[in-house]
Amino acid sequence: MFDFNQIYRIYDIPSWKLALAISGGFVLFYWVGCLFIRPFLRLFVRSRSGTNDLVGYVLSCFCVFYGLLLGLIAVAAYQNFGEVDKNVSKEAVALRALYQDVSGYPHPVDQDLCWLLRDYTLYVIKYAWPLQKKGIIPDGGRVRVTAFHERLLAFEPETKGQEILHAETLRQFNIFFEARRMRLHSVTTGIPAVMWYVVLIGALINISIVWMFDMRFLTHLLLGGMLVFFLGAMIFLIAAMDNPLRGEVSVSSEAFELVYKNMMEESNLELED
Amino acid sequence: MKKNKIDITSGLTRRDCLKQGSSAFALASLRALAPFVFAGCSELIPRSAAKTVKVGILHSQTGPTSMSEIPLRDIELMAIEDINAAGGVLGAQIESVVEDGGSRATTVFPKRAKKLLSESKVAVVFGCLTSASRKSVLPVFEESNGLLFYPASYEGNESSRNVIYTGSTPNQQILPAIDWLLSEAGGSRKRILLVGSDDVHKRTENLIVKKYLQDKSVVVVGETYIPPGEKDTRIAEAIRKTTPDAILSTLTGDSNLSFYNEWAAADVTAEQVPVVSTNVGEDELRRMRSNKVNGHFSARSYFQILKTDANKKFIDRFQQEHGYDRITDESIEAAYSSVYLWKAAVEKAGSFDVDKVREALCSDIKVDGPGGELRIDPKTLHAYKRFRLGRVNKNRQFEIVYQSADSIAPDPYPQSVFPGWSCDWTKGGVTKGAEVKIEN
Repeated sequence: MFDFNQIYRIYDIPSWKLALAISGGFVLFYWVGCLFIRPFLRLFVRSRSGTNDLVGYVLSCFCVFYGLLLGLIAVAAYQNFGEVDKNVSKEAVALRALYQDVSGYPHPVDQDLCWLLRDYTLYVIKYAWPLQKKGIIPDGGRVRVTAFHERLLAFEPETKGQEILHAETLRQFNIFFEARRMRLHSVTTGIPAVMWYVVLIGALINISIVWMFDMRFLTHLLLGGMLVFFLGAMIFLIAAMDNPLRGEVSVSSEAFELVYKNMMEESNLELED
Repeated sequence: MKKNKIDITSGLTRRDCLKQGSSAFALASLRALAPFVFAGCSELIPRSAAKTVKVGILHSQTGPTSMSEIPLRDIELMAIEDINAAGGVLGAQIESVVEDGGSRATTVFPKRAKKLLSESKVAVVFGCLTSASRKSVLPVFEESNGLLFYPASYEGNESSRNVIYTGSTPNQQILPAIDWLLSEAGGSRKRILLVGSDDVHKRTENLIVKKYLQDKSVVVVGETYIPPGEKDTRIAEAIRKTTPDAILSTLTGDSNLSFYNEWAAADVTAEQVPVVSTNVGEDELRRMRSNKVNGHFSARSYFQILKTDANKKFIDRFQQEHGYDRITDESIEAAYSSVYLWKAAVEKAGSFDVDKVREALCSDIKVDGPGGELRIDPKTLHAYKRFRLGRVNKNRQFEIVYQSADSIAPDPYPQSVFPGWSCDWTKGGVTKGAEVKIEN
């Protein structure tokens, strides 16, 4: 039985190689079919006059539907990508705001909380992101967030100002926590396997119809090859945009890296003070 | 003829193409696609195919002791990362498996230890901080013949062939501090008050101190134990009642904050009644006010202030990674050096096998850690440690006022307290003596 999860290994391949492999693979498959399958399919077309026109109508009709399907899936994948990117930015922004809030706590609680947040950020960049790229939901962030939350809850405000700051920090923590959960949920977000089956079977039918088309051989190789190349390129685009936290075309940890850089600069400034 | 004509005018036929072009086409396309296909495939090889060795990290990342144990996890991960960057161990990259003890010594720690040894099949574990957690995981390591590197100072009265103790024992920390207090440099103190957190660890340490002082002309004027986490230490009252000329404190955690505040309220100076603490390091110091701790002492094997190249490099690396306001302390230094000590042992053994690594550890291998040379005593599997005494200055930093001439050999079973007990793993292990009852 084919393990569909094996297909995710395509995300380990650099994008340009993957693009060439998919598009080139489609063209190669089509050309080989032109040599070995097309002669048999052509027999069916040539047996009755006017069948080639019929194949032309069917191809046009199928291409419209299939193109529409691919287009919609590509848009959905792009929107999904954008959504995940937005969530990652939201988490990073919330983290930075939280860091700012806890910097206002009395000493040494401020230092403890800042350390814990820096620790979390470093973990996300260094350990969580590579795991996400492999499709693994990282677990190490949970204990880091729990440690921070415990330390935060242990703080007992003594003044009205501290009370307000503490309430705001807890609110900010919830925003951060929500964004974090959404990021983790996105690790396995992608187009369902059944949809991929439809896309691939559709591509096969599309190619088969082109094979049926009665044209001169070189025209077949050229025109059909171009059509199939574009088909492969579309499928590559969807595959690359799907699973927004996996592969080379994925949401990067840049937002967290920027936050971490700022945190480190601040820790240096505090030390100089 | 007609057919030929058609063939000529229409160019290449399918049949011609098949005949003439198929070989060339197949070869050309294979050649053209080979770099892409095979280069892509090479990246499909799973990472696990590359040689890796798993090591476990078992500290409390959540719960009450997490603030003390998280830096240990961080430093161990950092050491592993540096070793990997330098090529790994025996050509293998180290893969760390981190587990959270959750500050639940008796329930979670043993389960996580079992998981690391049985499921993750780690070659070694760097873990624990409290004596309670170490004692809880000990049977798991002994049963599975695992190897644990324990980085904290502790009370002694233990030795296992499955644990490498890289922290100090009382004869490497408390007793040299007592000696210093009794010396001229320490003010020739005669009346000592013992203050500690109320647990077996501290009571054992104080028992060792009391037995040690029996032969000397020094009076232990009192013993005060504070329940862990308790903030009211009632120390001012104890000072007034017992009139000590020095205090030996084994208090841990936040109790130290209240302790020094109350000491300040007792209307005595640090010159009159100095406090020597075994659990106040750089981390605790940053939580205290300068006027409350100025002039007091801390007995450790390592201080961040140590001016050596290895220590400077170590601190720089740690702060670059985790923040410039982060500080190191005794356990952090021991945890860091432990990873390198294990690496050196593995390289000497040429294997990750626990028995071979232990044998290598006992063969006088050394690593130059930030706190100085680290090597293991083959008899006790404890580390040789140098004693250092730091005095807190006005800037809330330590100044090292005394350090032992050389590293001190470990003695987990001082004969004055544990008569008949001894430990020699080169000759079979622990020899049991009379049972010593420690009140709690």
